[in-house]
Amino acid sequence: MVKRKPNAARYKHPLPIHPIELPPLIPHNPISWIYWTYCYFTGINGLTDKVHVEFFNDKYVHIIVKDESQMIYLWEHGFFGTGQLSRSEPTWKTRTNNRLTADSDTHGKELEKVTQHRRLLRLEFKKQREKLEQELLELRRNGGTIEQEKELIEYQRKSLREYKSQQSSKEIIPQEETIRDIDLPLFTDDGKLRQLESLELLPVEAMFLTFALPVLDISAKELTRRLMGYPESYTDIHDFISQYVVYHHYRSHGWCVRSGVKFGCDYLLYQRGPPLEHAEFCVRILGSNDVKDYNWYSSLARVIAGANKTYVLCYVENLSSPENILRWWHKGNYRAIFSSYKVGEVTYKRWIPGKNRE
Amino acid sequence: MEQDEEQDIKFDTTPDSDVEDDELIQDWSQAAQLSIRSSTLPKRGEKDYEPDGTNVQELLLYRARKSMFDTLSNSARGSVVKNLVKAYYDPSEHKALILKPRGNFLHTLGKMDRTGTVWLEFYEFVYLAERGTITPFYKMNDIDWINQELPLTIEDLYMLFKSQEELDKFFVFGHLKRLGFIVLSTENCLDSFFEPRGENSSKRILSNTWNLLPQWRKTLHNAIFYSPWKFWLNKHTSNSQMYQSLNQLIPSYKAPRTQEELRKTRAGIAEKPSNFPISLNVWKPRTDFKKKNPGLPDYQVVIYNKNDPNQHFPTYYELRKIFKHLDYKFEFLSEIDETWDWNDHSYHDGKLRSKTIINSKAKVSGTKTTTDTKKLEKKKPKKKFKPKSPRVQQKIRLKNGFRSFLLAVMDDGMISFVKISETDFGSENVWYVPQSAAKKQNL
Repeated sequence: MVKRKPNAARYKHPLPIHPIELPPLIPHNPISWIYWTYCYFTGINGLTDKVHVEFFNDKYVHIIVKDESQMIYLWEHGFFGTGQLSRSEPTWKTRTNNRLTADSDTHGKELEKVTQHRRLLRLEFKKQREKLEQELLELRRNGGTIEQEKELIEYQRKSLREYKSQQSSKEIIPQEETIRDIDLPLFTDDGKLRQLESLELLPVEAMFLTFALPVLDISAKELTRRLMGYPESYTDIHDFISQYVVYHHYRSHGWCVRSGVKFGCDYLLYQRGPPLEHAEFCVRILGSNDVKDYNWYSSLARVIAGANKTYVLCYVENLSSPENILRWWHKGNYRAIFSSYKVGEVTYKRWIPGKNRE
Repeated sequence: MEQDEEQDIKFDTTPDSDVEDDELIQDWSQAAQLSIRSSTLPKRGEKDYEPDGTNVQELLLYRARKSMFDTLSNSARGSVVKNLVKAYYDPSEHKALILKPRGNFLHTLGKMDRTGTVWLEFYEFVYLAERGTITPFYKMNDIDWINQELPLTIEDLYMLFKSQEELDKFFVFGHLKRLGFIVLSTENCLDSFFEPRGENSSKRILSNTWNLLPQWRKTLHNAIFYSPWKFWLNKHTSNSQMYQSLNQLIPSYKAPRTQEELRKTRAGIAEKPSNFPISLNVWKPRTDFKKKNPGLPDYQVVIYNKNDPNQHFPTYYELRKIFKHLDYKFEFLSEIDETWDWNDHSYHDGKLRSKTIINSKAKVSGTKTTTDTKKLEKKKPKKKFKPKSPRVQQKIRLKNGFRSFLLAVMDDGMISFVKISETDFGSENVWYVPQSAAKKQNL
């Protein structure tokens, strides 16, 4: 088990390609100049060991990273991919390890655990509230006056508030669990836990990690061939291109872009990454000539507003002809393709007259 | 002035300024206090979700309903004959005229001509008739329409609407009016943020050739960065460099964010947006409103009827076109600048407002101007300006965007408003700079 690093150190690099680290340059010390120049010319941005990806399934391709350290590397340096047995960070092995070895010292603060704990507390709170509601009903049945009722409600509110503040100060109690028979196949012959989890990349993530940054051990052309075969018409590749253009646009301005499927949109934008803060923007991709039914916009707006996020409609405009794009695609000239799309953004927000009078 | 008029208005504006809920429901228990039998009634309380087998819920409902009926049946109704304002619908103009205009509504509605007659737009006419502020009549050309009166019913009025668009405009107008906003049509609007035409147009050609240069540099840069040997040709020593190399690839639309940029966008436009006309100007409720010189509106409204098969939600091109035609109090300009005075940045009838205002005040009387300036001085320290961190400012820019308009979506009598704003992620960088690296740069 690796000891837990503080988040600041753990997620120091926002991209899997690191800048060259140069020693301090001291003007009055010539040796430092020489050392600085040496570091500058020997330093390489690229990775010495590229991340190995495998493809899984032919028609609906999955892009998979299996090596454990590489999985963690991709997660820690820009939050790429999703652990197949976890919510996002591939934590299945550590979680299982913690569960089976019952080592209370190592029970970390995995996101899954925090959520689980929070849900448990919420459930208890709801039970408590239900109890109080029962009391109120009892009073009503016994013919209490409205003034009495008011008093009771006031009192109940206070006690619920107290209950909640008391609850939040409680610590997580690790659950005791022992190894069941069913757990035995999880171990190798020499008693170590097997890694069953792998990291799955979105097609756009994989494209970013090959085309924009040389991180994966395949070429962009190979990747698109596995994803889309030999496209015959522009419509086959249009969706992927606009998805990638938008992905690259936000990534390149420093956002951590993750799938927005849980909020009914295309992407979520995190300023740094999921463990560090909530996403503040939900992005939906549209073509610059697309028109949808009004309900399409409004239903999404309600969902996103309910999650306290900002709804961004990102329009992608094609500046080149479909024939050109297709030709470039077959040549593997992705740079020309992506730079011939222009993006424009609009935020969409429900406007309530009563709240906008002053 | 007019007493029943006053009361009318109070009804709308008092209850809900600090209500948190989305929908504002009239709380009749408050209004009941105005009625003859003033009694204390329970306020709105907890919501009950299901029947609980007792009759408490029934009782609460009954009380609330009763307070509403009491209010309606006991309040003074009707109008005093002496105060009756008659308005005549003129079919040839599709407008209505008032021969003896009086009443509070004249502050924000109607237009007076040289003879002292006030002309109401048709939707203003119907709105006032519905409220009972005016009594509607028909102006028949061949007869003596003043003595031989032809009264109109509300039903008649609705039949006189000429198109679905006009009806929709009326609904949105009435809805916002009833909520206390000041609403005027965008037609014949004399106020503008933009300078009158014909001053600077020759600069544009020059700037175009300049813009081509960075385009070439970009292409060359991208050719290097997206080649396999990029890291040999170009060493990156910080994350910022890396990101800057990445963000050259995809072009994006820039939102105009300064006064100069906004004015530049205005240079090339001529025609009005045909599909989505900006139909209403909206001001937040205020007491010092002047119909003749209203200043820039706080919002502009575009109406979209979702059930009309000929209409659709605007595409990006159409949105951009609407943005281009907006002309209102661009709040993002004044929010970042503490010294910003809208009078110095808007034009009335082709003249800078700050100049015309001073002139008109000087005309009125010498003593009044001094009190006015005193008032202004008093107002200024009210707006306290808290400097925000650049990070927070950036967030605000991204969330609120720049130019914006209200889209009023009509669904058979239901109106829902959407605020659509232009935003610009392409000009903001949010990447993380590690602490140690930041320190190093400082050294």
